[in-house]
Amino acid sequence: MYEQKVPLVRLAKRDGMPGWQAWCIRLASILVALILGGLVMMIALPDGSNPVAAYGTIITGALGTKTAIRQTVKIAVPLLGCALAIAPCFKMRFWNIGAEGQITAGAIAASYFALYWVGRVPSVLLIVIMGLAGAIAGGLWALIPAFFKAKWNTNETLFTLMMNYIIIGVVRWLQGGPWEGRPGSQIIPNFDQSVWLPKVLGVHCGWIIVLVLVVVMHIYMNHTKQGYEIAVIGDSVNTARYAGMNVGRIMMRTMFISGAISGLVGFIVAAGANNTLYDGVANGVGFTSITVAWLSQLNAFAMVAISLMLAVLSKGADTLQTKLQVPASISDIITGILLFCMLGCEFFINYRLIFRKQGHKEGAKS
Amino acid sequence: MKKVLALLLALSMALALVACGGNSGGNSSSNSGGQTNNGGQTDDGGSSEGETKHIKVGMVCIGDENDQGYTYNFMRGVEGATEDLKAKGIEVEWVFKYNILENSGCEDANIELAEDGCQLIIDNSFGHEEFMLKVAPDYPDIQFVACTNQASWGDDLPNTHNAFANIYEGRYLAGVAAGMKLQQMIDDGEITADQAVIGYVGAYSFAEVISGFTSYFLGARSVCPSVTMKVQFVGSWSDATEEANAASALCDMGCVLISQHSDNTTPATTAQSKGAFHTGYNNDMTGVAPEASIIGTRIDWSVYFTHIIECVVNGEEFEQDWCKGLADGAVVLTPLNEAIAAPGTAEKLEEVEAAIKSGELNVFDTSTFTVDGAELTQAFALDTDGDYAADSEEAVFDGAFHESYFQSAPYFTIEIDGIEWLNSEY
Repeated sequence: MYEQKVPLVRLAKRDGMPGWQAWCIRLASILVALILGGLVMMIALPDGSNPVAAYGTIITGALGTKTAIRQTVKIAVPLLGCALAIAPCFKMRFWNIGAEGQITAGAIAASYFALYWVGRVPSVLLIVIMGLAGAIAGGLWALIPAFFKAKWNTNETLFTLMMNYIIIGVVRWLQGGPWEGRPGSQIIPNFDQSVWLPKVLGVHCGWIIVLVLVVVMHIYMNHTKQGYEIAVIGDSVNTARYAGMNVGRIMMRTMFISGAISGLVGFIVAAGANNTLYDGVANGVGFTSITVAWLSQLNAFAMVAISLMLAVLSKGADTLQTKLQVPASISDIITGILLFCMLGCEFFINYRLIFRKQGHKEGAKS
Repeated sequence: MKKVLALLLALSMALALVACGGNSGGNSSSNSGGQTNNGGQTDDGGSSEGETKHIKVGMVCIGDENDQGYTYNFMRGVEGATEDLKAKGIEVEWVFKYNILENSGCEDANIELAEDGCQLIIDNSFGHEEFMLKVAPDYPDIQFVACTNQASWGDDLPNTHNAFANIYEGRYLAGVAAGMKLQQMIDDGEITADQAVIGYVGAYSFAEVISGFTSYFLGARSVCPSVTMKVQFVGSWSDATEEANAASALCDMGCVLISQHSDNTTPATTAQSKGAFHTGYNNDMTGVAPEASIIGTRIDWSVYFTHIIECVVNGEEFEQDWCKGLADGAVVLTPLNEAIAAPGTAEKLEEVEAAIKSGELNVFDTSTFTVDGAELTQAFALDTDGDYAADSEEAVFDGAFHESYFQSAPYFTIEIDGIEWLNSEY
């Protein structure tokens, strides 16, 4: 009677799995993803090309030549920067999914100076001003939902998400209105060359900025009082209150920092990669970087590896599309499978499955 | 029972896999134009030219061929050029980057194609140019073309090019067909003379669009003197729903004929459902709206593609700014829908087409329109200082405004009498 009610599969929390075992599961998940992706490619690729060769194309496409590596790094820079930005919020369990909008806000502020201040101040100073303006604008844009959350406990997930659409709408208005170049074109002209981010080793110097940020954020999160406060709030808001922390203030401060970094990324993308402003400036980075942050378990150094991995996939898939003329969506599917498997495997690391044993009393041993 | 079902399911999945695989294989081979193995076949055919020349051409497209409009029209040009060049012993291997918007993704696409070994790279949308220009200096041996834009004649990069066609000539002809229909309706007493109102769905108040609808209007008025026109801008080059809404609103305002400068076929279908007539752009729309769509006009890009690919293969230079029209086959009309066109339309079109080709008729003849009640006597063509206002080269001479004469990209941006702009904020 009792055994009838036992479900076929049950879940149990597991703790204390050794590190190597966890990493084995993670590697296995990547393997599974590659096999599944290979199956998809077998269906999609033209006759005569096999999935292994296709994976080879992805790797060489992303890392095979100097130009390819530069392009790959260019994709990784905003991903890494933005993952660093949202990490403190997520650590605090403040679900900031508005990085997209904060990037855009930063890009708008930077673009304003790039478009209207050229010639008024020396260009090096102007680039610094653009970066600062981007950071402040991004920070303020993020501060709004944080303020409402602290004051009236509004839902930050919805709030930050909605803020994205507002700021992207603002860019559309600027594109067709006050900042439009050729009448009717809906295109903001390119910035003057003097305010383009200088290139170092063939890629705009944004990569140096984000690498510095990696170290800074690592120290901030792990070795400062503020970082500790964030961790405490993430574990338990009540504990934080009991310890006398001003939770609202810390939330707003953290969101401002988060938004400021996103805004800085917006500046890097606008001034370094695009050299102009358009509504797609964030290009989904604000969302993809959530995956980067999660996969890295909010570890700043792991983010470098994960963002590079995603960039390799994205650039490599682009080459795959060029070389084999597969639909661009195939690359999205493969990336999706990989992310799904990698995020999904965390489930098996944290829980274990218990199958019902026939004829035995359930859960006797495991 | 379950096992049988499972087996059946597995079997059907396996079959589906095979079917899918076969399908996509066929697709991609048709995509990449001519493969190298065709070289052997030409030898079999015993071509007198000797060996086949091979070239790899990249193309950055803002949409894909499924849009049935803008990019579809380019694909038809690609097919035409591939055929023409085959006859000349040139094998073209095309590499496409689809759905590349006018942003830095376009820069990446150009780099991608350049790295892939393309000798010629064509960007098909106006806004691609700025991003293409960031790539072109790094690859001086590759020729870059930005269709419909205009920087090349003024920049100092010898490997960049622009191209457009005198589409205003085709628009004028489509306007004549529309005007004939309206005049027929007036003569038959279906509408009064002042009810002959055309509704025009435009993308933006952009030179290319303004030039297009003005020429269209002048064509219509040349055969139906009482016609007027309302223009509704939708604020997008391609937004099927908004285009339909605009067409619907225009019909409600009393327009009895709809035309368009936007990428979708929804203005045609909306016109049909509202009982209005229609003329199209980019594509023959009589298929989707047989009771409404009278005729369409499109640019035949194969003429240009054949020309430049031949030049590149033979190591010759080609124009930095190219513009041809009806006379060279670069602008063509889609088949006339005889079932609904006014009687005599075909003959009239032939007559007008001949007049345009011979240069006897100039579309923007300044004696046929007025601006604020006065004849147009002065208008500049080119913008030389980058402030987006034309400041050089007088376009009005010999009794006409000379469109696409100083550069390929259209520069007629004047609001003439008889055309009402409903929302010029776009």
